Amino acid sequence: MSTREPAAVRPAASVPEPAPETSSSAAPASGAPAGAPASEAPAPSRNWGEVALSTLLLLLGVYLVVGAGSITVPGSSNTVGPRFFPYLVGAATILVGGLLAVRVLRGDQGPAEDGEDIDPTARTSWRSVGIIALAFLAHALLINVVGWPLAVTLMFGAVAWALGARGVVRPLLAGGIVSVVVWLLFVKALGVLLPGGILLELATAWF
Amino acid sequence: MDALTQLLHGFGDAVTPLNLLFALIGTLLGTAVGVLPGIGPAMTVALLLPITYVLEPTGAFIMFAGIYYGGMYGGSTTSILLNTPGESSSIMTAIEGNLMAKAGRGAAALGTAAIGSFVAGTIATLLLALVAPVVVTLAVAIGPADYFALALLAFVAVSTVLGASPVRGLASLCIGLFLGLVGTDLLTGQQRFTLGVPQLADGIDVVVVAVALFAVGEALHVASRLRHGPVQVMSSSGKFMTREDLRRSWKPWLRGTAFGFPFGALPAGGAEIPTFLSYATERRLTKHPEDFGRGAIEGVAGPEAANNAAAAGVLVPLLTLGLPTSATAAILLAAFQGYGIQPGPTLLTTESSLVWTLIASLFIGNTMLLVLNLPLVGLWVKLLKIPRPYLYAGILMFASLGSYAVNADPLDLVILLVLGLLGFAMRRFGWPVAPAVIGLILGPVAETNLRRALAISDGDLTTLVSSPFSVVVLLVAVAAVVGPPLLRRARRGQAVAA
Repeated sequence: MSTREPAAVRPAASVPEPAPETSSSAAPASGAPAGAPASEAPAPSRNWGEVALSTLLLLLGVYLVVGAGSITVPGSSNTVGPRFFPYLVGAATILVGGLLAVRVLRGDQGPAEDGEDIDPTARTSWRSVGIIALAFLAHALLINVVGWPLAVTLMFGAVAWALGARGVVRPLLAGGIVSVVVWLLFVKALGVLLPGGILLELATAWF
Repeated sequence: MDALTQLLHGFGDAVTPLNLLFALIGTLLGTAVGVLPGIGPAMTVALLLPITYVLEPTGAFIMFAGIYYGGMYGGSTTSILLNTPGESSSIMTAIEGNLMAKAGRGAAALGTAAIGSFVAGTIATLLLALVAPVVVTLAVAIGPADYFALALLAFVAVSTVLGASPVRGLASLCIGLFLGLVGTDLLTGQQRFTLGVPQLADGIDVVVVAVALFAVGEALHVASRLRHGPVQVMSSSGKFMTREDLRRSWKPWLRGTAFGFPFGALPAGGAEIPTFLSYATERRLTKHPEDFGRGAIEGVAGPEAANNAAAAGVLVPLLTLGLPTSATAAILLAAFQGYGIQPGPTLLTTESSLVWTLIASLFIGNTMLLVLNLPLVGLWVKLLKIPRPYLYAGILMFASLGSYAVNADPLDLVILLVLGLLGFAMRRFGWPVAPAVIGLILGPVAETNLRRALAISDGDLTTLVSSPFSVVVLLVAVAAVVGPPLLRRARRGQAVAA
């Protein structure tokens, strides 16, 4: 395969998303009456992704409370058994998830995390995220079949390619060299259990 | 002066050729990984945790001491030489540090950071050695109810005080508490929330969660918004610290240490607040106010010392109470647990030689850092220029190595990916990651103590507020939840009135 098109290095921020700059302190006060009109606040841009995540958290709380009911309580157990803390955590999770969902619906936005290599104005590249996630999943399933070094080499190549490394050969070569060196170091020198794959294990059996 | 004798014994154990080698490897690895952009101290420790699996506890903790301080130091080098925001505890160092580097005074900025870290680290580690035995004598008397109150305070402090959005911190904490519940109940042996998957009966491994939330989540978050184009690393050249620089630095170093250590040592610790206070103080006290905004050396010296002193302070509650108050400390706690050691008031007596060797190694690692880093700056600068596609591919490779090595089970890697995607979503929406890690590790401890307390009292809930200690701690925790929003509203009220 020689798909060398540098699709990932397209000019960033050609269509910038509305950058999440509103800090939480700029949000409507939590205790304000629900019906009160937000005075001259800019139209809230709702973050549906975060609404979904908060709702999931709320559902997790429901699962905790429901699931706690089916934990077996040994007969000998006294007042406070294995269900108590899950009920507590579940209730707190429902409360926090619900509160956060309502706040986000009202337009509250958290400060997206900064980082040295993050371009806050760049458009989200779902393509990179998708390729990396799939490559990582594939390598997890491949490890026991082809060994860690080969599985990691393929993953390394795919990730580097998705992030805009040039060519296909160089990322694969780099991944191959690094993974074999790391494998030798950890398995042969430090004794960590890591399948090497048939070829590598035969080649280093004398070690 | 019992502590000092013990400390000398610790030095005796630490200064063997092999242990010195472990300390050297730890500091080098810690700095190298910490310098890499996108990798903060917590991720450094999480990624390097598997290396210690093959060592016996003493060697492992000596290496860990080096990794801990090395990671802190590496992080500040990154923030001085890269003109982009990094992790929160280095932001204050970065402000004036960037400006100094831009003005061709990079070497002096790195110098004051290195020596400041050394001074603060040495004083704070000495304070740790002196304070820890005292805290232990007080802590031996506290019961399960008091301990539950302390855990509650740590939860609240980490979730609400440190982050920009308290609700999001609590949301993250809830995720961590849930992950901590998965597995077999410690007291009755019942399975909880394992979905019938046999591998989950042992719970989700802390290493997997920490690496997923920090390393995989960060890699995906960066991948989604990667800064393209050439990496701009500022020059680390220029004249090294002059006598004038030294004269302007030493007071900020000491003041920064004075801010950092207590904040780190309190259960409501963290390094962000003391670095911020230190910066504000230096800005007010300086005799060269015109330099602030153009690269003032005081603005680097103070926050950097505060940052390092806080890192040592965090070890006080960790070693004496088993209470982690930062994500990095939580991962260190996991490392202790991995060796079947439960930090707490008894640790200093049961594992006395291990603890004092660890503390002695902190001194040794700190000194090694000073000696290594000034000449090795050129190497660290090269690491900063590493092409980003390869850097993040490499981070994922080490994430895979560490998580697979725990149980040799590919299922752990699938969990790693799922939690990594969760970590990505959390970063995207501004949910802090640290509370989740603290919740995961401290949750089971809190539960055990809560149930013990209630078992002793036959289910009477008032036992939780029966000792003055727990009442005070719980009141502080309540204040930490209710205080900030009230203050904010009061301030807004004032602004409206004005």
